[in-house]
Amino acid sequence: MGIRIALAGNPNCGKTTMFNDLTGANQYVGNWPGVTVEKKEGKYTRDKDVIITDLPGVYSLSPYSPEEIVTRDYLLEGGPDVVINLVDATNLERNLYLTTQVLDLGLPVVVALNMMDLVRKNGDKIDVAKLSKRLGCPVVETSALKGQGMDELIKTAVDAAKKKAAPTPDLRFVAEVEGPIKQISDLLGSRVPASTARWYAIKLLEGEQRTIDSLKLPAADLKTIDAAREAMENALDDDAESAITVARYDAIGDVVAETVKKSAKGLSLTQKIDRVVTNRVLGLPIFIVVMAFVYWLAISVGTGVVTDWANDGISGDGFLYTGGGAYEEAVGAWEEEVAAAEEAGASEDELAALAEEEPDPAEFGLWIPGLGAIIGDALESAQVADWMQSLVMDGIVAGVGAVIGFIPQMIILFLLLAFLEGCGYLARVAFIMDRIFRRFGLSGKSFIPMLVASGCGVPAVMATKTIENERDRRMTIMTTTMIPCGAKMPIIALVFGAIAGGNTEETWWIAPMFYFLGVIAIIISGIMLKKTKMFAGEASPFVMELPSYHLPTVKSILLSTWERIKSYVVKAGTIIFLSTIVIWLLMNFGDAGEGFGLLDQETELQYSLMAGLGNAIGWIFAPLGFGDWQATVTSITGLVAKENVVATVGILTSVGELGETDPDMWMAFATMFGGSAAAIMAFCAFNLLCAPCFAAIGTIRRQMESAKWTWFAIGYMTVFGWAVGLMFYQLGGLALGEVSFNVWTVVALAVLAGMLFQLFRPMPAVKKAGASEELEAGAGAAA
Amino acid sequence: MNDAVGASSAFPLPLLQSGENAVIVKVGGRGELHRHLETLGFVEGADVTVVSEAAGDLIVEVKGTQVALDRSVASRIMARAAA
Repeated sequence: MGIRIALAGNPNCGKTTMFNDLTGANQYVGNWPGVTVEKKEGKYTRDKDVIITDLPGVYSLSPYSPEEIVTRDYLLEGGPDVVINLVDATNLERNLYLTTQVLDLGLPVVVALNMMDLVRKNGDKIDVAKLSKRLGCPVVETSALKGQGMDELIKTAVDAAKKKAAPTPDLRFVAEVEGPIKQISDLLGSRVPASTARWYAIKLLEGEQRTIDSLKLPAADLKTIDAAREAMENALDDDAESAITVARYDAIGDVVAETVKKSAKGLSLTQKIDRVVTNRVLGLPIFIVVMAFVYWLAISVGTGVVTDWANDGISGDGFLYTGGGAYEEAVGAWEEEVAAAEEAGASEDELAALAEEEPDPAEFGLWIPGLGAIIGDALESAQVADWMQSLVMDGIVAGVGAVIGFIPQMIILFLLLAFLEGCGYLARVAFIMDRIFRRFGLSGKSFIPMLVASGCGVPAVMATKTIENERDRRMTIMTTTMIPCGAKMPIIALVFGAIAGGNTEETWWIAPMFYFLGVIAIIISGIMLKKTKMFAGEASPFVMELPSYHLPTVKSILLSTWERIKSYVVKAGTIIFLSTIVIWLLMNFGDAGEGFGLLDQETELQYSLMAGLGNAIGWIFAPLGFGDWQATVTSITGLVAKENVVATVGILTSVGELGETDPDMWMAFATMFGGSAAAIMAFCAFNLLCAPCFAAIGTIRRQMESAKWTWFAIGYMTVFGWAVGLMFYQLGGLALGEVSFNVWTVVALAVLAGMLFQLFRPMPAVKKAGASEELEAGAGAAA
Repeated sequence: MNDAVGASSAFPLPLLQSGENAVIVKVGGRGELHRHLETLGFVEGADVTVVSEAAGDLIVEVKGTQVALDRSVASRIMARAAA
């Protein structure tokens, strides 16, 4: 028979790390509270009969937040054989608050005293034997991060489960509270098991409706309980719940005083760092510098060596690992020779002979032929039909290749974000951003999903689960995908290249600008939506535990990076793979006057099915400066997956395998818009802000749990993206002299005026009973 | 309930400067937020130290943990000067 172990503990105390250690699972670990919202199950690697359940982190077992309900229901009704209560030893007092409640449940409990290595490093001492005696259950020292103490922990837990021994804690509350608890548990008598009597007595004394309902006590008993509660409240001049909380912390304070010896302490390192990075003056600038650095590194290094390698190596001709300099020289000399021959009016035969002499890179060093070249050669030598070669090379290799070429850049971005997240800085960023987000009705917690969104919109929308307030959560879901996700980065890189025209030194700011465009779009959306009936009301209060700074382990950084990269790679292999085939078919078939059939890509592209589709709806985008079918089609394929935008540009311009970092691609892309910078910016803005990809839309549907809200969210994003694109092209173009004044200029101005009105008009009076009761009147004064 | 605290020495938490410490007298209000703050250790008699302060938003240390609070939340917590 198997043994079921439940893993319970405070948020961010290392439960998921321990779960990964124990089960060999690779669950994602973040360094902020609330990463695990649902419980997860796994089998112990060394004994498959031991099943471990990772519960969401909670501070207490009251049934209020979704995490608390999941954890409490599992502990009360899920029937675990033993509970491992993971306790952060560096913060014993707060962690024991949950422990004292778990001990009352009547289940066998083992306390895992985690992060003991840090306690020793700080020079503090914990008397484990005495702690175990006071808590009335076994206490095992562990370090989940280093995987220490795991075997002993499981062995102790299995023993405790087999003995079925309920804890016998020595934790008395003050007499005023202890009296009524005793009274109520006597009253309950045999109606609840003796080992859980204290749990039920305390819950009844608190007046917790959920427990009262579940026990179905006779009215007379309820009256007795009410009287006991009232007497206690009067004696302590406090409501029952607060009185019990205080009593619990008092009892814990007593235990801690007896078992913990703290070394004399000054400011901790965490406090010293926080003095600086959350400073009222420096906090925001530091954050901007950090993020600018992250994106600069991802773009410059990512588009440099690493992406060159990926582009050439995977989808290009190949890559020369060594001897590159000599090869470049030889090619230069050869090119000069050819040019000279052409000038001298050499015959075609002579030129052909020269072409034969093109230096072979394989002679200059370690040359690895590119995947694309290998596939191309293979197809040719197998004498596959021309159209099939075209499908594979121009369609699939070009489309998927452009996407894969971007992965190195994303890996760098995610590694850096994982580090910032793992060391604890991102939790501070939520605090810093709260001050700003509050002004447009979101909480700083909305920032965490937005940060994840800079990787991928799918996990970002899922991360909104940690936002308790429903209005905040909905608004965050609606706006979070406006942050440029990983898949939108190639669009930015492409636009960056097209506008910069290769001059990357002077126009480096374009890339971070689109990142901040996302942030600004969210701010504007927040303010505008906040003044609608749907979202009116006070922002939810911001209370968040900040983890101590620590160096994340290499494993946790890699896991987090992999988690985010995975969804991207899977998309490249499935949705994008299929859609590149569909796009190729739509582009290569059509009626050029001689009946439906395969088209000549050089001359008949304008007759393709794709062109027809683009032409049919191009009028929507004409006011945005990109009404021709190519740009329209590109936007449509972006709905399937944003990576497709670059892939489609590649196919449309027949320079597919080059990727978004190649100057030829930039040129081709700029030509699509007639070289208009305003149109390119409008195109980029629309594609960044409009409805996200299918995968993200699906996730939004799941999180909103409402078709109506899903459609509202998508509709809002698309209209908003269109409006921003319109203003970019019409007003930006007017300023640059690329567009003359026309009827759409008036529309753009009207849209701008409407937005400004909604932004700056005073908050309309909306009657919303109950929504703002929670907050004091002074709350709004924060601005 | 706040008038029970009444003592002239009690003040709301945002009045503290960075680096100052105090002892909690009372967490005002009712409902979920009140409960959550107490669960986190903002209970009568607990020591708090302000680690960082920006326009009334605070990062405070309580019961050995750092907790970030916005101004409206921090204003509910009444404290008195540490002994």
